[in-house]
Amino acid sequence: MILTLLIIQWLIFGTMAVSIVFYKNFNDNQVLGVTLSRKHAGSPEVRKILKSYQRDCCLVLLLSVGASLLMLVEGIRSYAEFFMLVLIMANLFANWFVIRHYEQELLSVKKKNGWVYRRTSIVTVDMDVAKEKGKSGISVLWTWLFFCLSFLPTVFLLIQPETQAYYPIALSLIGPLCQLSMVYLYYQMRNQHAPAPGDDSELNKACAGAEERVNTAAATLSALAMLSFWIFFNLSITYGKGVVVTVLPAVFLIAALLLIASWQQRKIRATENRFFGGLPEDDGNVYERETTWKWGFYYNPGDPRIIVPKRVASMGWTVNIGRPAGKAVGAAIAIGTIALVLVAGGVISFGSTKDYLVTGSGNELLIDAAMYDLTLEKDQIIGLSTIGQLPGGTRTNGYGGVNKSFGHFSLDGYGKCMLYVYNNADEYIVLQLNGDNPGYVILNDKTREETNQLYQTISRWMEE
Amino acid sequence: MLLKIDMTGSIPIYQQIRNQIALGAANGTLKAGDSLPTVRQLAGDIGVNPMTVNKAYAILKEEGIIVIDRRHGAKINLFEGKGNAFDPEFSHRLALLVSEARRKGTSKQDTLRKVSEIIDLVYEQEGL
Repeated sequence: MILTLLIIQWLIFGTMAVSIVFYKNFNDNQVLGVTLSRKHAGSPEVRKILKSYQRDCCLVLLLSVGASLLMLVEGIRSYAEFFMLVLIMANLFANWFVIRHYEQELLSVKKKNGWVYRRTSIVTVDMDVAKEKGKSGISVLWTWLFFCLSFLPTVFLLIQPETQAYYPIALSLIGPLCQLSMVYLYYQMRNQHAPAPGDDSELNKACAGAEERVNTAAATLSALAMLSFWIFFNLSITYGKGVVVTVLPAVFLIAALLLIASWQQRKIRATENRFFGGLPEDDGNVYERETTWKWGFYYNPGDPRIIVPKRVASMGWTVNIGRPAGKAVGAAIAIGTIALVLVAGGVISFGSTKDYLVTGSGNELLIDAAMYDLTLEKDQIIGLSTIGQLPGGTRTNGYGGVNKSFGHFSLDGYGKCMLYVYNNADEYIVLQLNGDNPGYVILNDKTREETNQLYQTISRWMEE
Repeated sequence: MLLKIDMTGSIPIYQQIRNQIALGAANGTLKAGDSLPTVRQLAGDIGVNPMTVNKAYAILKEEGIIVIDRRHGAKINLFEGKGNAFDPEFSHRLALLVSEARRKGTSKQDTLRKVSEIIDLVYEQEGL
């Protein structure tokens, strides 16, 4: 279990590190969210800042991975899930801090050198290029085919119902849902804004066609990577042994998506250089983005609209935080998001730290646990015994952590059970009930000795 | 033809699209029968909602600058060329523009020169 948590954390840290290192690349006249022309972005001062930025990103990754190893220390191991949550939040904050710090440095350099661009945003569209959109790329039929193939695990579960014990059929529909997002990605990539850097429509069309081929190829390859991941993931869950085998498909997917993104960016740059590399850079095409976009929201006090389309209109809508009503809506969204994170964090921390409290009071046995309290009447219990090992099974609605498992589970040979167990005690008390939903309540205390004491307590209460 | 849309300006985007297509049709950059991109294609390329482009096309259709065919999409309409553009609305709009120039302190000669330049720009392109 600890190994799983460590691998999950390293995947998150790795993905975050790669994402923020990619963020330093010059893209659409922006570097780390700061508007710069290509010439200014290539200046020695900016290069030096970006080198330090890359070094700090790696430092954050190494520190995070190093700190995660503290989970192996006995005292911290008891609070592994909570520690993991804190570490992920700390990693996110550190990454944000690095980006923010170097963004400010870039802004200072920009101010010092007087690099000022115009404040208006002019979008140039070649209508001849727009008419050709969708004619040069790889066919969308491939992504739809991959979507259909993503139902294979569902079909397999229907043909072999016994495998549903490891893998509920509802879970097998997550794959097609993810695959559908790849179809959406395809259309997004295909309909991206085609740049019109020159006045020659034929050249613009050739460049746009080449870019469309690259973009649709990247989307199709991403869809293929997602399908491969999904098939491998299902095979590893059904037939694989060990955590590493289950995690490998996720590692493959992340690596494949990052490689495809990197390939696509390099190809797009190469295509633009091939067609328009000889043209002198026109700084007049660069405009200050910060004027209308702040913290990912649209900011324009002069625009009366509250809800406006995103920068890429088909991606949905956002709020104009330049207007008072927009500020209120933006604040509500921010508060809601923070509250959601806090509630999720609170539930995990509470669940992993709160001990079970078992008390016999009159005719009732009360089990006090985080979120899954239970009260049993004496006449509901028809048997009391102990076992030395917890049978295998699946969690149906409960909490399964490094140290504790509680809530609703389905166990081999027992059926539907309520569990209130510490995973490392090697002694479990089994209460057999006179129904089958749940049929058993299995509980224990932190050590074998304490579990034996608890058994005596319950036994005395039943005899009273 | 290149469309240059100012995303931060005060002129609505649909108005800018309408104005530039109308200008292109008048000065010959867009010829009668030339097809226009579909609403979705153009909206995706500019990065606006399709409704914005739809609104611009609807105005152009109403003004007779384009025709919209269900099968072939939007096309530039044939010039009617009846020479009866000087209706009261035309005079009123021109008067407003000239008044604005005067209010900003432009002399009569400068205004005439500017208007003449614009007329040359529209009429001399493509030998109109």
